[in-house]
Amino acid sequence: MPNSPLYFEDVEMGDEVGPIERSVTTGQVREFVQVWGARSEPSRFTDPDAAKAEGLPGAIVPGAMSMALMSQIITGWSPSMVLRKLDIVFRQTVPHNAPLKLQGIVTDKGVVDGRPQLECDVFMEDAEGTRLVIGKATVTVPARG
Amino acid sequence: MFLDLHTHSVASDDSRAEVGQFARWTGVLRRKGYRIDGFVLTEHRQFDLDKDYSALAKSSGLIILKGSELDTDRGHFLVYGVTEELLSRVDFTVVGLDAAHLVAEADACGAIAVPAHPGRFGIGLYEYVEQGAGLGSISVVERLNGSNRPGEQERADALIESHALRGTGGSDAHLVSAIGACMTSFDNDIADEAELVRELRAGAFRAVRLEDTTQG
Repeated sequence: MPNSPLYFEDVEMGDEVGPIERSVTTGQVREFVQVWGARSEPSRFTDPDAAKAEGLPGAIVPGAMSMALMSQIITGWSPSMVLRKLDIVFRQTVPHNAPLKLQGIVTDKGVVDGRPQLECDVFMEDAEGTRLVIGKATVTVPARG
Repeated sequence: MFLDLHTHSVASDDSRAEVGQFARWTGVLRRKGYRIDGFVLTEHRQFDLDKDYSALAKSSGLIILKGSELDTDRGHFLVYGVTEELLSRVDFTVVGLDAAHLVAEADACGAIAVPAHPGRFGIGLYEYVEQGAGLGSISVVERLNGSNRPGEQERADALIESHALRGTGGSDAHLVSAIGACMTSFDNDIADEAELVRELRAGAFRAVRLEDTTQG
């Protein structure tokens, strides 16, 4: 994350956000599911056999955890960015322990209800460039002066 | 001219792109030196006769046309030149439409049905043809699709080469920034859906990627 805040005037349509490269370990998913609570385990999120029994190739990252990862594209961009809305489409399952690339791109900017606002496409890709999760983020950002 | 023949706006439940945002984004592409002259909205399993994008098209200097993407028993089909007559003969909302019936009715109604992403694993036309399905009167398929996964392009190319088909290009955009990733380059200008069907049937076009449209 940049040390200095970004302002509305600093951002242009087409600016890229990220990428963040990471993978989600099985241990991290187990911790997330524990905090998430109210799930019967083992499940497709934590156990490869349970996942395979449901026709999946292996254990998968929960959708709520993928959403949290996607939000980091914006929250890790600059301390001045405020994520107002994140609208996600899950296109494919997200596997454990695999390289993921999270990225955004500014697709619109304007003043809405008196507030400077950005819209960004956000997406999560696997190592082959296939988009597993896509979405749109609505972000407010301060203007100079 | 360069047209993106496969896009989805928020009218499709899995898209997050407004039509106006698509239009504004073409300005970003143009500033980067790419060329895009318009796009066709191919919403999933629907066609709205009343939707009118002529004002947006005029203000943005774009050709904005309407089509549809339908679910058939031979994979997804893009339909261009949709008419009231075709809508009365084919229920666009049905999943698993009879593809041969759709192609025949489109032909009869002055439209054209084009298999989308034919190389797609599991649902692409390639697999049905491998299993012995005939192509009937299909002469055009989507060659370049912006959402292709590894291995799918090769299958689409193989289908096209082995059956001497013509190939279009479309981004399959579900996000604003995806529009124009793949397009179709037409030799002749197109102003409306009827002219699009005419040019697709005439065959004077080729599939291109966005990078192919840079000037000079």
